[in-house]
Amino acid sequence: MGMFGVLDISAAGMDVQQARLEVAASNIANARTTGKDGATYKPLAVVVRSAIAEAQGPAGTATTVANLPVPVVTQVVQQDVAPKLVYDPGHPDADARGMVALPGVDPVSSMLDLISISRGYEANLRAFDVTRSLLQRTLDLGRNR
Amino acid sequence: MLNTDPVLALLSRALDAAALRQSVHATNVANVDTDGYRRLEVIYSAEQQRLSAGAPAMDANEALAWAQAEPEVVESADTRVKLDQEMAQMAENAVRYQALLGAIERTLGLLRTAARDGRE
Repeated sequence: MGMFGVLDISAAGMDVQQARLEVAASNIANARTTGKDGATYKPLAVVVRSAIAEAQGPAGTATTVANLPVPVVTQVVQQDVAPKLVYDPGHPDADARGMVALPGVDPVSSMLDLISISRGYEANLRAFDVTRSLLQRTLDLGRNR
Repeated sequence: MLNTDPVLALLSRALDAAALRQSVHATNVANVDTDGYRRLEVIYSAEQQRLSAGAPAMDANEALAWAQAEPEVVESADTRVKLDQEMAQMAENAVRYQALLGAIERTLGLLRTAARDGRE
């Protein structure tokens, strides 16, 4: 595989950050999504596994450049977070006591997630760029005569 | 050609090792959010460490014999990936890689000069 395959791994890393971004955006956008009988939007989370570990199990063979672990989003799960109850008797989704169940989205941790996603994406992009430029310079070897 | 000149062979082995390091750093960065991921690193075998400790001065052929052992990819002692450290090590390794490329370039230049009887 050599260094060319590493570009795919960095791309997979960017895909993972993109999936995290979509989930975080969905959580923030649905922070006030309510439903009948307290059936509110449940905050989502991504599960990221390495493709090699999935295929070979925990006791895999020795890692070489040919089987470096590639991250993949295996599933998007609903987090079991208790809804926040807000008193709003005029709301169509309010229960008998006038309480409305809002999703348990924590705005602070959502914003922190956005920062960490941004850093993760940048790091993968930088790694991709370094690999690409090293490959480019290697291909230019012996070019100037 | 690359296998007949010991200096070029040595440089290309070192270049392979630097390329492997770049691959491993990029993999660590890509897996920063992977559940249960343990940071990978490149190490040299115990045999190589013994040789490098015991032999202060090596000529190119000795060094080449030393470089024949394959570097290994193993799980690191500190299992968490730290993005800043990973990026710093990647930058350092990239500089080393480019230095090696420069050395190969100049060695090829010498051979080219020799092949042209010293004429430019």
